[in-house]
Amino acid sequence: MQWRAPGSERAILLDEGFDPVGLSDVTLAFLLQTGASVVAIALLVALAAWAKIARPTPPLDEAAVVDLLAFEFPDAPIDAVWFAADRRGAIVRSASQALLIYRAGDGYVTRSMPWSDAVSAAPEDGALAFRLADVGAPRASFVIGDGAAWPPALEAVA
Amino acid sequence: MTFDPVTLATPFFILAVIAEILAAKFAKTRTNYEARDTAASLAMGLGSTIAGVLIGGVIAAATLWAWQHRIFTISMTAIWAWVAIVFLEDMTYYWFHRLSHERRFWWAAHVNHHSSQHYNLSTALRQTWTGGVNGSWLLWMPLAFLGFPPSMIAIEKGISLVYQFWIHTEAIKRLPAPIEAVFNTPSHHRVHHARNPRYLDRNYAGIFIIWDRMFGTFEPERDEEPPRYGIVKNLGDFNIVRIAFHEWIGIGRDLMTARSVGDVWGYVFGPPGWRPGGAGTTSKDLRRAWRERAGDAARPST
Repeated sequence: MQWRAPGSERAILLDEGFDPVGLSDVTLAFLLQTGASVVAIALLVALAAWAKIARPTPPLDEAAVVDLLAFEFPDAPIDAVWFAADRRGAIVRSASQALLIYRAGDGYVTRSMPWSDAVSAAPEDGALAFRLADVGAPRASFVIGDGAAWPPALEAVA
Repeated sequence: MTFDPVTLATPFFILAVIAEILAAKFAKTRTNYEARDTAASLAMGLGSTIAGVLIGGVIAAATLWAWQHRIFTISMTAIWAWVAIVFLEDMTYYWFHRLSHERRFWWAAHVNHHSSQHYNLSTALRQTWTGGVNGSWLLWMPLAFLGFPPSMIAIEKGISLVYQFWIHTEAIKRLPAPIEAVFNTPSHHRVHHARNPRYLDRNYAGIFIIWDRMFGTFEPERDEEPPRYGIVKNLGDFNIVRIAFHEWIGIGRDLMTARSVGDVWGYVFGPPGWRPGGAGTTSKDLRRAWRERAGDAARPST
C-alpha cells in the first residue's frame, strides 16, 4: 500500500495497519490547537491592554520609596535617595549599599549593590545602567535628566 | 476518545479570564491586569502544554509500568475508588507542592508560577515548562502501584488542576466559613502566592485545605496584611525564557562556585536562598527576622 501526502510527488510505502489519516489527524489537531491558543492569547492580551486595569503607578516619591523599602529591605537604613528623571526608579544609599528600585510593568523590582560600584558607574545616552549578577534581573536602568551628573547630590530622607 | 478535564475546561478558562477582565473594567472588582504580565502568563501556559506533550509519553509509560506491577486491582467504576483517589491524589499534590517550594531542585521548575506580581486568572495559567524533567511526577507512582488505573490518576490530576484555576482571583474575597474550613479557596491561595514573610511557604493545598491544617502549614489571610504577590526577588522583566529557566541557570552558576560536596548538595537540594556557611536568606530566615521585628503581631494565628 502506498500513501502520498497532498501536494507531494513522493509516495511512502506503508505497512498493513498503518493509518496515515489518523497520524495526520493527530498532528493537525495539535497544530490547530496550538494555533488557536496563540490567537486566543493575542486576543486576551489585547483585551487586557484595552481594559486599562493595571495598577496605578504614579511617579515615585519619597513616601513611596520609604513604603517599598520597608517591605523589601526592612532592616536597611535609608540615608539618602536619588530619583530617576522620569520617576520610574530610585537609588537609595543605605550605609555601604545602594538599593535600586525600578519599575517593571506596573510593579517594582528591587536589588542591592555596593554603593562604591553604583557611584563609579558612568552614565551613557542619558541613562545609568547597572549590570547585576542576577539571572532574574540582569540589568537595571535609570533615566538621568539633561545636564544632571552622576553621582548626584542626594536628598536626605527625613 | 480520551477524557481530559484540562482540555475540556480550556474554553472555560478563556471565558473566565474575559469575564474577570470585564468585571474589573465595568464592575470595578478588585482585579488588576497588566498586558505584558498577562502575555507572559498565557505564553507560559501554552509552552507548558507543549512541554507536556514532549515528556508526557515518559510519564504515561512509567505510570503504566507501575500499574502493571500493582498490589491490588481497583476498578474505575467503583465509587469508593473515586472517593479514595480524590483524597489520596490531593494529599500527594500537597507533598509535591510543599517539596516544590522547600527544595530548590523542584522550586526551579515551580518558581515560574509565582513569578507574577499579579494574582488573577491568567496567573493560574503561568505553568511550568520543566516540571517533567525533575521527576516530581514519581510522587504519583504509589497510586499506580496501589492499583489505581493510570487513566484514573490522570483524570484526577486534571480535575485538581481545573479546580485550582478559579481560586487564582482577587475578585472573590471570602467564601462561607464551612467552605473555607475544608476547601482551598481564593483567600487561602492568595496567601500562598504572597511574598509577605508571614505568608511565605504556606497553604500548599490543591483542592482541600485540610492537609495544611493537618501538617502545620496553614495561614489564614488577614485583612490588615494584604498579600504582596510575586517572589522574594521579583524578576526584572517579562521575558518568558527568563521566567522558565532563571532558577535553573542560577543553580548552574552557583554550582560553578561550589567548593565541597556539601555546597553542591545545598545549592541543588537545599531550600531556595541557601548559601554556604549560613550566608544565604531562606524563607525560614525571612520569617524569623520578621517575627523578631513584629513581636506580638507575629503570633501564630492557627
